[in-house]
Amino acid sequence: MNIIACVKQVPDTEAQIKVKADGSGIDEGGIKWVMNPYDEFGVEEALRLKEKFGGEVTIVCLGPARAMETIRTALAMGADKGIHIDDPALYEADSYATAEALAAAIKGLPYDIIFCGQRAIDDDSGQVGSILAELLGIPVVTMVTKLEVEGNSAKATRPIEGAQLVISTSLPCVITATKGLNEPRYASLPGIMKAKKKPVDIKNAAALGVSGASKAKVVKFVPPPARPPGKIICADDTPEGKAAELVKLLREEAKVI
Amino acid sequence: MELSHFKIGHEGREVFWNAEHFEPFLFFFTFIALVIFAYGLYRRWLIWSAIGKAEPEDRKSNWKVRLKNLVIDGLLQRKVLQDRYPGIMHALIFFGFLLLFFGAAFDATEFHVAEPLGFAFLTGKFYLFFSFLMDLAGLAILVGVFMALDRRYLSKPDRLGYRGKPDNTPDDAIALLLIAGIVITGFFIEALRIAVTWQQTPWEVWSFVGWTLASALNGISEPTARALHKGMWWVHTFLALGFIAYIPFSRLLHMITTPANYYMATLRPTGTIEPIRDFENAESFGVGTIEEFTWKQLFDSDACTRCGRCQEGCPAYLTGKPLSPKKLIQDIKTYWLEKAPAAIQAKKEELRAKMAAGEETDKCAKVLAFLDKIDQAIDKYVPARPETGEKALVGEVISLDELWACTNCMYCMENCSAAIEHVPKIIGMRQYKVLMEADFAPELQLTYRNMENNSNPWGVGSHLRGEWAKDLGIKTLAEDPNVEYLFYVGCAGSFDDRGKKVSIAFAKILQAAGVSFGILGSEEGCCGDSAMRGGNEYLYQSLAQANIEVMNGYGVKKILTICPHGYNALKKDYPHFGGNYEVYHHTEFIAKLISERKIKLKKSVADYVTYHDSCFLGRYNDIYDEPRKVLKAVPGLQLLEMERNLAKSFCCGAGGARMWMEEHGERINDARAKQAIETGAQTIAVGCPFCLTMMSDGLKTHGKDETMNALDIAEIVWKAMDLEEEKPPVDVCKT
Repeated sequence: MNIIACVKQVPDTEAQIKVKADGSGIDEGGIKWVMNPYDEFGVEEALRLKEKFGGEVTIVCLGPARAMETIRTALAMGADKGIHIDDPALYEADSYATAEALAAAIKGLPYDIIFCGQRAIDDDSGQVGSILAELLGIPVVTMVTKLEVEGNSAKATRPIEGAQLVISTSLPCVITATKGLNEPRYASLPGIMKAKKKPVDIKNAAALGVSGASKAKVVKFVPPPARPPGKIICADDTPEGKAAELVKLLREEAKVI
Repeated sequence: MELSHFKIGHEGREVFWNAEHFEPFLFFFTFIALVIFAYGLYRRWLIWSAIGKAEPEDRKSNWKVRLKNLVIDGLLQRKVLQDRYPGIMHALIFFGFLLLFFGAAFDATEFHVAEPLGFAFLTGKFYLFFSFLMDLAGLAILVGVFMALDRRYLSKPDRLGYRGKPDNTPDDAIALLLIAGIVITGFFIEALRIAVTWQQTPWEVWSFVGWTLASALNGISEPTARALHKGMWWVHTFLALGFIAYIPFSRLLHMITTPANYYMATLRPTGTIEPIRDFENAESFGVGTIEEFTWKQLFDSDACTRCGRCQEGCPAYLTGKPLSPKKLIQDIKTYWLEKAPAAIQAKKEELRAKMAAGEETDKCAKVLAFLDKIDQAIDKYVPARPETGEKALVGEVISLDELWACTNCMYCMENCSAAIEHVPKIIGMRQYKVLMEADFAPELQLTYRNMENNSNPWGVGSHLRGEWAKDLGIKTLAEDPNVEYLFYVGCAGSFDDRGKKVSIAFAKILQAAGVSFGILGSEEGCCGDSAMRGGNEYLYQSLAQANIEVMNGYGVKKILTICPHGYNALKKDYPHFGGNYEVYHHTEFIAKLISERKIKLKKSVADYVTYHDSCFLGRYNDIYDEPRKVLKAVPGLQLLEMERNLAKSFCCGAGGARMWMEEHGERINDARAKQAIETGAQTIAVGCPFCLTMMSDGLKTHGKDETMNALDIAEIVWKAMDLEEEKPPVDVCKT
């Protein structure tokens, strides 16, 4: 079975995000970069399928030179090879341009199933997986928490409000992974050492035949306003008095009831 | 019996009395016993060397220190005697035997050397003293054996078993009965001789046991006595020679292996773990198979006497976890004994092939080849061990629950009377699980990811590391590198709310004392102790190297720490990677500030305080006095000791990466908190942020968090210095 897992390098969830003064992006100084956690579920599921059915797992990643570290992380977990799409023209790619580049890189490869994270935790747009499927002309199931592959089809479970959908799809297809699909493994040390020697192809936009042109553009980064201080209700010492004050504030100041 | 014509001057006795012609036979049988003894040892040596890999640690050089260890712990029984009843029991047998051994040597020298050369020395007053001493020694052995029999078969303390089930083996009884038999027959021989000769040798009253027994035999005819004496002489001889031959095949082997283990005991600072040196080229990491232990680690288990000292204070064992250090060592031994025949066979085949190819011309190899022929002949008569199925060392021989229950508290190693090194074996097996198989507790995986991404186990953003010091006017080394001390705060002191209070208290003490210090702020990283002790040597080394790079970059020479884990790592493990610093724990440093009168403790803080010895401070670094000195310097403070304290202190449960793992069943910290509560103290003083968390939680479990508290020594001292007005809790509605 030929499996592809798309990964993105994102700032660690605990990293301090500072918006540049001119609003053109974030200040990358001092940021610890990690693999997007949802992509990690995809890589783990890919590895489990490989362990069950045999075959090869290829990692595809778009990003600057530092993204190589994330590809190596996936290779350390057990993936076999990587494709690193690195081109300054694509550094500010929107979801469409990203999916287009990924699709161009994947097109020439044999594949039975493609994994993406349901969204990246940096821009949270959640579109790449679906656009990728569209460009490749294959089905997509998003937000998958359970996957069973049998023969030429797959059964994917996807939570919706108050229920779960079990969706059957033919292969090849795109699966976007979410929390609950699995527990990603911790890389073994021999895995880490071997990962250093596994092949990674570096490709630019020209080699893939894509322009890198985005359809959407981020106009400005604006940091969220500082959180206002909490308010302590002092008006009355009795619980009834405090409750009455709380209702009043929620109604008149916060305007939520 | 009456004492007539007693005269000092010509006392003595005839060696080989009534056994004049037995001497050649005695020589012959002694020779056979010694050959069996030597052959047994050789077979054992084959196993150790055939299975274990090369020992990377130097176990030979520095012979003076090693000899000293051997004399103090082996010959003088220091470690053994630290435990009263069993210590005395063993010492009686040991010293008794030693005396009798030298007695026999004296007899032999007298008979074969001194008498023929005409300067017999076993005469006169010396003979009387000698006779008295030998009888005393024999009596001591009998008392010791009696105590041992009582312990093993009547009073049966838990430590001579596992969870109430004694682990007695037949050779336990055989060894004790052999010893008793040798002494008793010896006394009878003496008594029968005295019964015949007492009128000519009234001085034999100094052989007081033999004399008393002879009195009891009063009326026995001389021919009967002589015949009985001859018979008893042979029984005694065969028991004694049998004993020698039996040594390598029984628990008596510890007579050889335990002293040898004292001699080979590590001379490195307590708790040092041999670092993995070559991650790039090594094919495997840690200990996943028995062959990945070093020969010394296997040898260790042959030095174990199953005395159970380790088990008696193991926090995991005492709170119902499956781990017992004794059982662990014994399980490893049983396993390598199963593996031995095949391993020896492989080793010999290799040797045979080399000999056949003419590659091996070493004399030693030739001797081995010769011995191999003897082995083959003997093996025909040795019953084959039953085939045992292939078992995994980690997971089956040693269960994962055992492996991960260890808190690395070092009680077992510190209290072992055979210098066995348990903890490195456990870390080795953990390394295998973590580095090779990446198969370990999910909560620990999360901890390691947090350490990788944010250089702290909690996973709080690493940029927040210096936040606790924000309003204290403490400079970072980036701002001012010209300070005398680096205060290495560590993760707990930087990120844990309780730990931050300790950092603040200590920083304020330093400021009040006018100490020149700075911190690293966000440049500081996790010390890596939990990674190392949890088997993640790779992560540990990357963390250590990052810290060393920063510290060496600033030319750091002296370091202050508030966490014993960081203290231990920086002081003893960082030198492996080029980080050489003078490191102080804050309790040491505060003690120094007090003695130099740099700070004054004026105010009473608590009346009754008990001090909990942190493992990484006490057993790992021998810091027992300083924290107590500091506490005693607080006005009006009375220090109450827990029963388990100092080198026998009970772990809080957080060491060895256990801080980050789920604990099932009775919790170690609850058990320790109970011990503290029983002292009647109001406050548990600690010197470690992990212990602080564990003791605070333990007090909550017992519903004592309202009436008791746990405080770090720095907090107690800062309060006692009375430089800061204590602010009552602010009522926001009143202002």
